[in-house]
Amino acid sequence: MSTYLDHNAGSPPRAEAKAAIARVLEAGAGNPASVHRPGQAARRMLEAARAQVAALIGAEPRQLVFTSGGTESNNFAIYGALKALPARRQIVSSSIEHSSILAPMADLASRGFPIIKVAPDREGRLPSEQIAASIDSDTALVSFALANSEVGTIQEVSPVAEAASRAGAIFHLDAAQAVGRIPVNVAELRCDLMTVSGHKLGAPAGIGALYVRDPALLASILLGGPQESGLRAGTPNLLGAVAFGAAAAAVTEHFHDEVLRISTLSNQLLADLFDAIPRLRLNAPIRDRLPNTLNLTFPEVLGESMLIALDLEGIHVSMGSACAAGAVEPSHVLLAMGLTHDEARSSLRLSLGWDTTRNDVARAASIVPRVWRRVSAAQPASSTQSHWENLRENLR
Amino acid sequence: MKRRVLVAMSGGVDSSVAAAMLFEQGYDVVGVALRLAPDAPAQPARRRGTCCSHDDFEDARRVSERMGFPFYIVDLRADFGARVIGNFVAEYLAGRTPNPCVMCNREIKFDRLWSRARALDADFVATGHYARISRDAAGRYHLLRAADSTKDQSYFLFTLGQAELARTLFPLGAMTKTEVRARARALGLANADKPESQEICFVPDGDYARFVERLAPESSIRAGHITDSEGNVLADHAGIHRFTVGQRRGLGIAAGAPFYVREIRPASGEVVVGNRGELNSRGLIARDVDLVDAATFDAASEVEVKIRYRHPALPARLNFSSPRSAEVRFLSAGPAVTPGQACVFYRGDEVVGGGFIERAIRE
Repeated sequence: MSTYLDHNAGSPPRAEAKAAIARVLEAGAGNPASVHRPGQAARRMLEAARAQVAALIGAEPRQLVFTSGGTESNNFAIYGALKALPARRQIVSSSIEHSSILAPMADLASRGFPIIKVAPDREGRLPSEQIAASIDSDTALVSFALANSEVGTIQEVSPVAEAASRAGAIFHLDAAQAVGRIPVNVAELRCDLMTVSGHKLGAPAGIGALYVRDPALLASILLGGPQESGLRAGTPNLLGAVAFGAAAAAVTEHFHDEVLRISTLSNQLLADLFDAIPRLRLNAPIRDRLPNTLNLTFPEVLGESMLIALDLEGIHVSMGSACAAGAVEPSHVLLAMGLTHDEARSSLRLSLGWDTTRNDVARAASIVPRVWRRVSAAQPASSTQSHWENLRENLR
Repeated sequence: MKRRVLVAMSGGVDSSVAAAMLFEQGYDVVGVALRLAPDAPAQPARRRGTCCSHDDFEDARRVSERMGFPFYIVDLRADFGARVIGNFVAEYLAGRTPNPCVMCNREIKFDRLWSRARALDADFVATGHYARISRDAAGRYHLLRAADSTKDQSYFLFTLGQAELARTLFPLGAMTKTEVRARARALGLANADKPESQEICFVPDGDYARFVERLAPESSIRAGHITDSEGNVLADHAGIHRFTVGQRRGLGIAAGAPFYVREIRPASGEVVVGNRGELNSRGLIARDVDLVDAATFDAASEVEVKIRYRHPALPARLNFSSPRSAEVRFLSAGPAVTPGQACVFYRGDEVVGGGFIERAIRE
């Protein structure tokens, strides 16, 4: 038995996506840039996929640039915006962003660019008025996640959109986690750029998109060909794009029923876990949260042991972010929200998705409390911080 | 119901074969690599050739994939830092020469790792140590030297008592290293011919003094004089942590006959040197003594004591001044005794206990 509750890391490929890939492989499609008929056929499939993904976020197909995924889209937004607005240097963002936002900002900070990173409150909400007030005539880009990937908190957008527009700054939303989980519409959100990720929706990893409201807003960072309206050179990933398109179409088709179904399942799971585990805490607001995401702090237990014990029981969840070797580090998001190191180390993320069934939730509701009791009995949390500086401190 | 065993895997051939053999014997094997050394700001996290490098984890993971059992990395950096590295540095600063492998076994592999194992519903912890565990008719556990005397690691395991031995498996105890490598090749393990690690895993360059200096507060470094037995100052030194009793090289003294470190006096910062004959001892005081089976231990009869891993065992008598401290009297004159090292009590092939050397007895 296997219960996969890590859709925020990546959803299993949907049947529609697999079928779309099979169709392209069967057709033996050519290069969409080629003049001949196989090339034209490939181009038709690519553009159909673009329309499907665009429809999911209320965009025009021509506003969508296919990329290799959320990380590329985020890097593209940051470096492309600075390149397009060379007179401006400042970036306004937050401390709870995905590493594909944080790492480029650290790179820019080391080169002297002024970076503002606002901090969230205890539930992961960013202060939208404070972000708006930080935007000025030097701001090239304002960027944050519409919904946080680790805790699911949904941010208030409109004061920021307003301020960015007034100041002439580019406004980017990282919606990799939000799209497909809540209604997302670029016109309503009034963003200039939006990151979308394929594998969070049930396409394979390796395909994503950046919504670009107006191509003149952004400069290309991948040079070498006229593809994607000149914004992203390189032969497009046709297999990925058609899978992305098919997954997007599947999401669109059942959207409201599916959001309701996932909300019901996750609320049921949350209620069952609250009943079974005293002092369990949800690290996000009850409302204004992605309905599929439950980031939970389990009292007096080491999350790493819970994660492994659950995996051995066939329940697959996640914690913080994995390092190159596959070890886990406490979540920077939870630390920024004010959780202690020990609390962050006791927290797990359970995220539901399209293939989650009532049976999965029932299994999790019975197994998670049992494993929690065993792990907390075996191993009362007593961790201390493990960094070099703390070690030095201990020797004083 | 299969019995579950948590196997500590370093990525080396020994622990890999240990895990693979248990798997073949029908255990429900869960492989774990231990993340131990904290990431120092000056050292990138991925150092080639140390026990906690990314490559070693990948070697262990490949073994688990080849055999088909689950594998995880567990983060024990906090415990290792506080209990092993902290102790290592503090011992050097106090003028003693620590044995971090013994501490790692006592504190990490057979203590903290066991609590991880219980959390995972495991019945046993296993390692690739060369040592044997047996259980007698009365249900008492015995810790024995490995069949391969050149690889025997029982010295490092003396802190294991009845409770620990009952839940520990050493699958390699009856094998030679050659047999282990042959087994690895037969199993198709990619690391069958991987060289052995020698240095202390968290000091890959072997420069203990510099390691201590990087971690220790300035004020705790004890500089002072190098003197002879009469108290004549022969030279100055930059810190007692740079010396170990019995050491000959690197003293910075020109003399006819070679000098050896005879004693380190942390209070005054003096390093006392002498000629080879002045090193000899009649015994030692052992602290933090652990007995493998305290209930059946016969304190009156003779033991053989190993005062360093590679030294031969010396006949000795024990005289306990409290349950955890003992005077160890060699039956004939003994060699240099190095405070901080483990002294392990054997009777024949059996480890009966041991402790840490507090100081030498010379008279």
